[in-house]
Amino acid sequence: MSLIRRDSGEVEALITDRYLDSLLAIQPTADRDRGPLGAELRADASIGAAVRAVSRRLATDLPRFHPSFRFEERLALRLAEVAASMRLPIAAGGEGQAMAIRELHPALPDPLRVAGDDEDDRDARPLLIGGAVAASALSLAGAWLAWRRRTSPMTRAIRAAHQLRLPGGGA
Amino acid sequence: MARRALWRSGAAKDAVPRIAHLDRDRPLVEAAKRDPARFDALYRRYLARVYSYAYYELGDHHAAEDATAATFVSALTNLDRFEERARPADGEGASTFRVWLFQIARNEVAGERRRARRRPTEPIGETVVADPLDVESAAVRRDEARAAWRAVGRLPGERRQAMVLRFVDELSTAEIAGVLGRSEGAVRVLIHRALRSVARDLGVSERSGGERGSAS
Repeated sequence: MSLIRRDSGEVEALITDRYLDSLLAIQPTADRDRGPLGAELRADASIGAAVRAVSRRLATDLPRFHPSFRFEERLALRLAEVAASMRLPIAAGGEGQAMAIRELHPALPDPLRVAGDDEDDRDARPLLIGGAVAASALSLAGAWLAWRRRTSPMTRAIRAAHQLRLPGGGA
Repeated sequence: MARRALWRSGAAKDAVPRIAHLDRDRPLVEAAKRDPARFDALYRRYLARVYSYAYYELGDHHAAEDATAATFVSALTNLDRFEERARPADGEGASTFRVWLFQIARNEVAGERRRARRRPTEPIGETVVADPLDVESAAVRRDEARAAWRAVGRLPGERRQAMVLRFVDELSTAEIAGVLGRSEGAVRVLIHRALRSVARDLGVSERSGGERGSAS
């Protein structure tokens, strides 16, 4: 193919492209073959009559399909689930916030607390729970406290009962 | 600070930024990046377009649904990797998100075709894709429309894809170039040649002009 022929082909393609830009800019689709602008485009002699006619025909005749409403909502639900699962890692630490455990429930005393049952002062330190919801925070806090304590609540209850039974409260 | 200093220097004066923020989907994309639940707005905006593209390419409702679902799930899970790269030449309505989305759709459609080929129960060995207008006859009854689609369906792969993206999804040439990974000039020539092929196929000649052909 000669250079001139190739260039003329590219020029034709460029003119056709501009024509399509104008044609597809007309809304709605039904007016593309009618109306003043449609008539102007129909009479546009800058491109060949065949290409012009086919362009108008395809712009009018090729429909855009929409899936069923059922599919649309099913996929929307699936995307919402995916979105929720993507938000979990953020909730678990991506946006960390310092939360003091003792401030979660300051009014609640430990019902199984026994005099002499030594608690470490380090319990008062804030725990870093990244943006977790309250329920998750409480679960983590509970797990953390259980780990911190050297004795289980059951052990401490037995120990307290034993102290009450013994005269003088001694072991 | 460094950028400002660079701008004052003589060398940078001519360095017009090639990347402009023109993506009309930007607010929705940024919202979805902050909160994935906000992706729903982008999904609703592009569902019909992506589905149409898949349907025209695959010619089967179920296959088109599968490809559409895979496209949107992939887009959502990879949204943080998307970078806006619209250029001033792309025009006011330029949307790199939609180019990116159709790139994903194109890959998913190709994957769906591969999967269909592995399923011997459904013979789709033909080079011409199935005619969705046969299925949609209730909505589109005109023989001319059917003939037009068949003519487009007989085009080879990239020409057909370019035509569907241009006429059905109404993407610009620059956007189609981004989707197909070709230059804008190549896409213009691709579409121009495709139009001439369709005109021949439909029996529309230079002499007949706007007359509607009878071939189908």
